[in-house]
Amino acid sequence: MKKTIGLISANYSNDTFGELTTRRTLASLPFAGRYRIVDFPLSNMANAGIDTVGLITPHNARSLLDHVGVGRPWGMDKKRGGLFVLPGAVYGMRTKTGKFLMRDLVKNGRFFYKDDADYVILSGSSKIYNMDFKDLIEAHEKNGTPVTFAYTQLKEAAGYEGLFLTLKRNGKIKSATQKPTTGKANYFLDCMIVNREFLINCTKWYEALDFMSLTEVIVDNLADIEVGTFLFRGYVGVVDNISDYMQVHRDVLQPSIAHELFGAERKIFTRVQDSAPTLYKKGASVKSSLVATGCIIEGEVENSILFRDVTIKPGAVVKNSIVMQHTVIEAGAVIENVVCDKYSSLGSGMQLVGQPDQPLIVSKDQKF
Amino acid sequence: MKKKECIAMLLAGGQGSRLNALTKNNAKPAVSFGGKYRIIDFSLSNCVNSGIDTVGVLIQYRPLILNHYLGTGDAWDLDSSNGGVHLLPPYATETGGQWYAGTADAIYHNIDFISAYDPEYVLILSGDHLYKMDYDKMLAAHKANNADLTVSVIEVPWDEASRFGIMSTDEEGRIVKFAEKPAQPESNLASMGIYIFSWPVLKQALLEDHEDAASDKDFGKNIIPKLLAEGKNLFSYRFEGYWKDVGTIDSYYEAQMELMDEGTGFDIFDRKNRVFSNSNIYPPHQVVGAGSIAESMVCNGCIIEGEVKHSIIGFNCVIEEGCVIEHSIVLPNSHIRKGTKLVRCIVNEGCTLMEDSNYGSRSGDITLVNDNPKSDLL
Repeated sequence: MKKTIGLISANYSNDTFGELTTRRTLASLPFAGRYRIVDFPLSNMANAGIDTVGLITPHNARSLLDHVGVGRPWGMDKKRGGLFVLPGAVYGMRTKTGKFLMRDLVKNGRFFYKDDADYVILSGSSKIYNMDFKDLIEAHEKNGTPVTFAYTQLKEAAGYEGLFLTLKRNGKIKSATQKPTTGKANYFLDCMIVNREFLINCTKWYEALDFMSLTEVIVDNLADIEVGTFLFRGYVGVVDNISDYMQVHRDVLQPSIAHELFGAERKIFTRVQDSAPTLYKKGASVKSSLVATGCIIEGEVENSILFRDVTIKPGAVVKNSIVMQHTVIEAGAVIENVVCDKYSSLGSGMQLVGQPDQPLIVSKDQKF
Repeated sequence: MKKKECIAMLLAGGQGSRLNALTKNNAKPAVSFGGKYRIIDFSLSNCVNSGIDTVGVLIQYRPLILNHYLGTGDAWDLDSSNGGVHLLPPYATETGGQWYAGTADAIYHNIDFISAYDPEYVLILSGDHLYKMDYDKMLAAHKANNADLTVSVIEVPWDEASRFGIMSTDEEGRIVKFAEKPAQPESNLASMGIYIFSWPVLKQALLEDHEDAASDKDFGKNIIPKLLAEGKNLFSYRFEGYWKDVGTIDSYYEAQMELMDEGTGFDIFDRKNRVFSNSNIYPPHQVVGAGSIAESMVCNGCIIEGEVKHSIIGFNCVIEEGCVIEHSIVLPNSHIRKGTKLVRCIVNEGCTLMEDSNYGSRSGDITLVNDNPKSDLL
């Protein structure tokens, strides 16, 4: 079998998440009660037997590194292979298009010589999907192209940001644009598989133009490089801004989507914390919610996500909200469309009501 | 190996026949407890929380799940190049092989293991009780008394004393008499089955006991009376706190239900002395549609579409619509189909319960349900 290694770009973010991403990267943004977004690319790789993975990190990597450690949850703490932290370039403004910057690839070029791999799968860390990367590898081999892009078909592209692909009849890419579009569209998943030799050559050819991204390099050369595609038909959650973040959480509250993401044969792995089971006490009423371990619930919770070790006191009401670990919602407090970051607390009788797409954010450690 | 001051030996080879179907394919220490734990978690967590980093686990009866669960010991931070968890099964020698004939015999056959760490003290644990204890404090008492053996004891109600191994002590806590399940107890201090031995004394006693053909090779029946008769320094160590046997269906059920009662039961929410477990990674549990949960404990990976009242639902269970689960414990990986009602039941791991069935009753014995268990034990 041909060998594949992985590279995850975790060094991009943007400012629409407010306080949620001032001290952490988008990749380490908590998700669905116990995960971080980076768990998806890491698990997708682990589930396909990829055990050599490079993680390109930003300057504010503390929470990310805290989470991934030596890669044990993903079986990447190995003698052969492993999880390699590749410090990303630090410059300019925080950008959302900084995925797969040539600068980062050039700087960490040694990584591509680590294993005598045939292919490299590159993945971003702001899209949520459970993909069988073995299918992607197989499609790439069938395509016989140096690069294969994974994409999804959008019924309505309005509001999406990213790269939209136009395909030839044979499924290869004809053109690609970042211009927003509407209607049906082929949407790039920030995920591609590349022949290692080709990738190494790109880093040599573009060393002087290292402000470009690998995606841009490939799109610029579509006339000369054949780029294959792989259509992913599963659920895709896009987390480019706070309103997306609320939407993907509304999505995972649907049992069918939760089942597809987590209940499938391919598990999503994450760091384990060993909290006790969640205790529902007298007065607790929980409807249509996702609840992690270690919570103590005495109040009302509806259409919400509770991370581990959250306390909901008697008479408190939590609706359409995301409550991160160790947060305390005191007696009688009411929150609706609110995101509470870790270790925050809402005093008794407090009322916070945000908009479904523009939630109020209670920042980490904040006591209201 | 590097010398250790104290290592622990955990007796985990017993069948635990009083737990009936729960131990048909599984050793008692590996029986699921409290939704996400296994019984052995409490002893192992006590060890690591007390600073003991070397634990020999004596296995014999149906060890498949137990071995799989312990793995490298990493879940308890016991994956160490110097120490950690060691699985110790019976083994063959050039003269043939034997099963462990008793608790003392099991330790006797692992004298080489213990000697490799050259410890001053050996802590013997039985791993079928629910309690939180700092063994380091007990060890300090053992050292202060210059004891050969320290037995942890707890006061039990006088009318229950005849069910236990009872220690009579003097004012300083020195053990003057030991009686196994006495009809007329002289004291209400029960042995908790937790012993700290000074290793040279234990080793000598094990070697001598092995030669005694009449011995049952048991700590309670043979080793302790022998050391007492020899006039060795035997001390009691008073434990105050929650301590509960989980070896019968009734006590197993009660101890778990008490986890939900604040202040009375065992505190599993205490983050300072965390109970570690080898958790599978499942997503948070999901309450769906008309699903409702009251006065209950629920673990990861569950989908709750029915009604759960005063019950414990282990990880990765499905409770379908129309189900009513009351005063029950559903062990992990079970699936309760539509419309089924449970009252005061324990559902074994990996069972599937058919639609519209009724199990259990509001009075009388707890009902143990073992329908359609999965054939894959792991």
